[in-house]
Amino acid sequence: MSKRQVYLDHSATTPVDERVVQAMTRSLSETFGNASSVHSFGQRARAAVDRARREVAALLGARQNEIVFVSGGTEANNLAIRGLCQAATQHGRHIITSSIEHPSVRGVCDQLEKEGWEVTRLPVYDNGIVKIQDVQETLRTDTVLITVMLANNEIGTIQPVVEIGGLVRQVRDSGRKSLWFHTDAVQAAGRLEIDVDELGCDLLSLSGHKLYAPKGVGALYVRKGVRLAEQNVGGHQERERRAGTENVPGIVAFGEAARIAREEMKERNDHAKSLRDRFEAAVENRIDDLVINGDRRQRLPHLTNISFRFIEGEGLLINLDMKGIAVSTGSACSSGTLEPSPVIRALGRNDELARGSIRFSFGKANSEADVDYVLEVLIDVVQRLRELSPLGKKVEFQMS
Amino acid sequence: MTYSPTFKDHLAHPRNVGEIPNASVIAEEVNPVCGDRLRLSLMISNGRIETAQYLAYGCPPTLVTGSVLTELITGKTVGEALAITRAELIEHVGGLPSRKHHAAALAIEALTTALKKFVL
Repeated sequence: MSKRQVYLDHSATTPVDERVVQAMTRSLSETFGNASSVHSFGQRARAAVDRARREVAALLGARQNEIVFVSGGTEANNLAIRGLCQAATQHGRHIITSSIEHPSVRGVCDQLEKEGWEVTRLPVYDNGIVKIQDVQETLRTDTVLITVMLANNEIGTIQPVVEIGGLVRQVRDSGRKSLWFHTDAVQAAGRLEIDVDELGCDLLSLSGHKLYAPKGVGALYVRKGVRLAEQNVGGHQERERRAGTENVPGIVAFGEAARIAREEMKERNDHAKSLRDRFEAAVENRIDDLVINGDRRQRLPHLTNISFRFIEGEGLLINLDMKGIAVSTGSACSSGTLEPSPVIRALGRNDELARGSIRFSFGKANSEADVDYVLEVLIDVVQRLRELSPLGKKVEFQMS
Repeated sequence: MTYSPTFKDHLAHPRNVGEIPNASVIAEEVNPVCGDRLRLSLMISNGRIETAQYLAYGCPPTLVTGSVLTELITGKTVGEALAITRAELIEHVGGLPSRKHHAAALAIEALTTALKKFVL
């Protein structure tokens, strides 16, 4: 008999929705043409891409010609930040970002820093949220880009993006037009209502596989009039912003997933939040010595990140996996070097808490029975690992 | 990462967990870089390890190598235990990815420290 499987890693990726599979499968056989071809096969593919573009735009309150399809969140972040900075060099070389961005944002900022840009990384304090005052205080006349995520991928905290957008608008209203705002909405899309005008952002990144579409497709929202330096050259696709033959079946799938996300967002969120809250309350009630990371109110509804004291995350993760339960840890131990989660460290937690952090992220297929099963296993594994741990024990050092 | 059935068995059911009351010797070693920690207590009688127990904090290979080590050394003489190498321990675990070999090194270090402390 196969063991029970419970997938609680929806922030890493989601299973593809059956309706999305059907749309993609149809596209593989019916709209296989190259969307740039002028013949009817190409035009059918073009029409399918345009339909998907409308759906993705509708998810964001954007216009369809403001959506650029890319391969995923990482490419969207690279294109947004590098593309904007390269196009805006004459206005300044200063970027403001947060200290808890996704590695794809962190990595581009680090790279630009090596190329002579100055990067200010804002603290997030113990609640995992950037302070708007810090953005105001670090803003300089040569700042060309603010890039702050909409919601964090490890702890789910929602950043004051609306306020940052308002600040950018004020700067522009005062006459300085050379300041742009990017937000990574990969984790937030499909989980928060997004309206790009309300957010006041110029660029916004999305990934398909976080909202029940397959991997290999994403999008960058580019507000009308914002110039980006091309990162892919050799083709005219996506209005000269992303050369390369469109991944038509992937884009169709993404469009269908965006449509479903828009229609079912409330229902999905209510479900995920109810499971998350049930799980969190029971964990707090039945397991001692733990810390729930990040602000408890201003966060995504579907995830919780918990540090279990005296034990290390990877041991917990593999023990849960052996019982069919999939979760994530932000820390990694490799070749005797430790990389505690930079996000948990940014909250001011010590290495032990950063090493013991586990992310549980719920999805639409999870049930209360799943939560109850995970709880039983988790309580047992935490207890076993703590019995094994020398930390937190009053052990005497004896010598014979 | 694929771990061996032996590895998984020891991770799910670690052997000889705890600390021996009135142990002949106790040693604790810490990897200063990653913070992994292994505490080994031995009951030695007539030059032979009668009982071994351990406590560990760290990544799964550290938890597992400690468990496998306690089984491996029980019944051995001090000299036989001192001769156990890191490679032998890794073999008994059913293999480890090279980036996790430090876990076996920590276990051997704790054993060596304990036995040298006992002999001296």
